[in-house]
Amino acid sequence: MATLKLYKFTVCAIYNKNIIYETELSNRNTFILTGGFFNYNFALHRPTIFITMTKLLEWLLGVSLIGVAWGLVTFDLLDLQLPPQYRELAWPMPVYLLVVFGCYSLATVGYRVATFNDCEDAAKELQAQIKEAKEDLKKKGLKIVSAAPVHVG
Amino acid sequence: SEIDVEATGADQAVGFGLVGFSLSLFTYYTIWVIVLPFVDSDHVIHSYFLPREYSVILPGVAALILLLFVGTFIGVVTWKNRKPKKVD
Repeated sequence: MATLKLYKFTVCAIYNKNIIYETELSNRNTFILTGGFFNYNFALHRPTIFITMTKLLEWLLGVSLIGVAWGLVTFDLLDLQLPPQYRELAWPMPVYLLVVFGCYSLATVGYRVATFNDCEDAAKELQAQIKEAKEDLKKKGLKIVSAAPVHVG
Repeated sequence: SEIDVEATGADQAVGFGLVGFSLSLFTYYTIWVIVLPFVDSDHVIHSYFLPREYSVILPGVAALILLLFVGTFIGVVTWKNRKPKKVD
């Protein structure tokens, strides 16, 4: 008969460089923590899992919480019996938020294109510098294939 | 010092066109997804909107078509820039 060896280890959660959570676990009630950093804590004499709360982890936590809330409402997992209008409103939410984000991005790009002022002086200066550079390089032996003028602004 | 001139006509037309297009798309889509569930089903406004399932299917199809375009573009550019392997 195989016997299961009991291991003890510690879990430390670090937020803003402070340890906010520490607990002892055994392999009777273990669970896998993503983003964890496995190490051996020599002071405690046992394996320790460090979870440093990076921005990525914060985002993932926030997104998964929202995702779970959406799933609960859409698939009615808790039998909350919400009014039908709110359930109708909830299920297209992820697609709606993506479309809104796309619209916002498009509008921002369009607005910045429309209000980006031409800089005539800078354009002329740049053209002159390009011409100068081309002549300089030609003297040094570089062959320039494309003679298309550059339009700026 | 540099004198800034207002953006040229074409730039303004394209830019404000994009802004107008995204504003109208946002308005239509918001009414479709958020406002319509709270409107009585016999109101005339429902005739201007497709059934609710299409509010998820159409953006999905649009995203797929966009991906197709991007993939095709990358494929064409990669194909054009391929260099024959050297044979020693």
